[in-house]
Amino acid sequence: MQEQKTNISAYLPLRARVEKVSRLTDREKLFTVSVPTGLKLRYSPGQFFMAGLPGYGEAPFSITSACLSPEDTTFELGIREVGNLSAAIHRLVSGDSLWIRGPFGRGFDVSGFAGKDALFIAGGIGMVPMRSLIKTLAWQGAGNKYTVIYGAKTPEELLFRDEMEGWRDKGFDVKLTIDKPHPDWSGNVGVVTTLIPGVRLDPEKTVAIIIGPPIMYKFVIMSLKEKGLGPEAILVSLERRMKCGLGKCGHCQIHSSYVCQEGPVYKLSELKDMPEAL
Amino acid sequence: MDKDIEYRFLTHAGFRKFISCLIDGFVVYGTIKKDGFPAFGPITDSKDLVLARTPTHLSAKEFFFPQREALLEFDMASGSHSPIVESRDQVVIGAHPCDLAGLGLMDRVFSTGSTDVNYLARRERTLIIGADCMPDDYCFCESLGTETIDKGFDLFLTEIKSGLLVSIGSEKGEAILSKYTKPLPPKDVHLRESAKALEKKKRSFKARLSAPKEELPGIYAKSDAHPVWEKIGAICYGCGSCNNVCPTCYCFDVKDEVTPDLSGGERVRVWDGCTLEEFAKVAGDHNFRRSRADRLRHRFNRKFRYLSDKFNSLFCVGCGRCSRTCLVKINITEVTNELIRDARTEDEYLGVPAAARKG
Ligand SMILES: Cc1cc2nc3c(=O)[nH]c(=O)nc-3n(C[C@H](O)[C@H](O)[C@H](O)COP(=O)(O)OP(=O)(O)OC[C@H]3O[C@@H](n4cnc5c(N)ncnc54)[C@H](O)[C@@H]3O)c2cc1C
Ligand code: SF4
Ligand code: SF4
Ligand code: FES
Repeated sequence: MQEQKTNISAYLPLRARVEKVSRLTDREKLFTVSVPTGLKLRYSPGQFFMAGLPGYGEAPFSITSACLSPEDTTFELGIREVGNLSAAIHRLVSGDSLWIRGPFGRGFDVSGFAGKDALFIAGGIGMVPMRSLIKTLAWQGAGNKYTVIYGAKTPEELLFRDEMEGWRDKGFDVKLTIDKPHPDWSGNVGVVTTLIPGVRLDPEKTVAIIIGPPIMYKFVIMSLKEKGLGPEAILVSLERRMKCGLGKCGHCQIHSSYVCQEGPVYKLSELKDMPEAL
Repeated sequence: MDKDIEYRFLTHAGFRKFISCLIDGFVVYGTIKKDGFPAFGPITDSKDLVLARTPTHLSAKEFFFPQREALLEFDMASGSHSPIVESRDQVVIGAHPCDLAGLGLMDRVFSTGSTDVNYLARRERTLIIGADCMPDDYCFCESLGTETIDKGFDLFLTEIKSGLLVSIGSEKGEAILSKYTKPLPPKDVHLRESAKALEKKKRSFKARLSAPKEELPGIYAKSDAHPVWEKIGAICYGCGSCNNVCPTCYCFDVKDEVTPDLSGGERVRVWDGCTLEEFAKVAGDHNFRRSRADRLRHRFNRKFRYLSDKFNSLFCVGCGRCSRTCLVKINITEVTNELIRDARTEDEYLGVPAAARKG
């Protein structure tokens, strides 16, 4: 009985190269990663890679950069150290290999933002994928009204603060908040929902995007409904446990939907009959 | 008897000889008696094979989707990964119609969208010889239309007094049968005996669903808030046995196993189960299906509703294995019948009068 070996496997990762590592906060680092030469890098904001290291497994990580040119050969991941794999990735330095599969999932439909105002609402590490969308729309520069509401537990945990001046220059109104009073903070205090009532928006032409920790969604959606936004005008990106990215392992399943394929980005209206989603 | 299917007849002795020839040429698995109960196991002597009438404890999925299987091999120093796709010529004997129906669903899962080379390679190189059965107290395949099957096997065996009636399911099956044996054309009496056995089987079901299968997705769709979930959630151990024994549960975990000297290792997939606590947990200790009631609701809905949206088929084949194995006697027919009963008392249900429905 001879064993047969073939060479096509959807689980086989590609070797990518870490070009640059920078620290974002105590817990998060930003990785600039390049794909092998000759490989076309195409992705939309909201999509993710399965990234791994031999011996440590792999996990889904959102792409935080924006794919602005077909010549792009690098992308960025913003990774929080929470366990074995993320800790091992945090030990990588430029020149090291990171093993990737993807990109996976359905990201944001950027063309759907044409002529629309947008309200970006991010909590914590949710800014990682949100930044990709913000950068994509900023680059398009369509002259719409863009408002960013971003909250974290403490001022140190707010990601990409040094880039926000640039976003403001592009016309984004950026509002930050932290959960509890802090000596170094003179801005708004309270969860992200506290900033929503103060935003002036035209419910007819505004799209709201929510990405954050699981508990954030319900409250934010309630505030947005009070602002007159309907389920067609609210986009969410959902997190689930993921082991394959291929619609097979079942971990990411919510009702009939496999988040790794049909998500992570959904219109709220698509989640109508899926009480488990939020 | 199905008119489109061709039949052959083998005497008992002819059948034993056929099995011996298969053992010489292939790795053969089949139904054996293990601690007095039917189970699948390796067949190294034709005497090992005991065609089981009632379902085996575990389904036949392990021969295509093993409990643990390597997907990749990696080297820690160079970081290089190479795929592992294991398969070999094998024969699986004794899979019942429900097992074959389950396998047909697995085929669709692993070939829809991204194709799974590991599963498909095993499937490709397996000769499947099905066998007929009799229901026990838990079998309810008849309610789902999987008590008989006309495809998904290479050969299919029906035991009759004087020998075995063999249905031909594929050219591969036909070729191997005539390579190793001299099958005879069946006599009318053989066909009549087999038809009678089928009638007897159909009369013997003790477990039944009280609604036609077409109605089940709709009934489940109205039952998210039904009290039965809390009721069974309160007694469930969250042990995952129901997932393990099910022929259509295909969820898996993927993890790295490193050799003791840390020089390399394998990325493996292992069966996982949606009734286990960790299944839907993400970082920050957030569990999307925190309670056992949530997890059981998910499992049952996968069988009767969620996947039918995706594959246009129910994902339960009625083998009763999950009920049979459950230590606290959570029974899939009883739970489903409870949902059916309460969906019917809501009189507008599907607009079909209760009296017009099967039950
Ligand atoms: C679509 C998507 C995008 C993501 N994007 C990012 C990102 O941009 N940056 C980032 O830092 N994190 C992101 N995550 C979360 C990240 O995948 C997990 O935190 C990761 O599994 C941690 O791996 P670990 O080995 O370090 O932790 P582990 O040691 O595996 O576990 C830490 C915790 O994570 C849970 N967990 C295990 N496996 C998974 C899994 N596959 N998915 C989710 N949780 C899991 C465990 O239950 C445990 O509570 C994303 C998750 C998803 C689903
Ligand atoms: S076998 Fe029974 S106790 Fe175990 S997880 Fe399934 S339903 Fe719960
Ligand atoms: S859900 Fe239960 S009865 Fe249905 S196929 Fe799976 S084990 Fe068999
Ligand atoms: S991650 Fe495996 S099915 Fe979605």
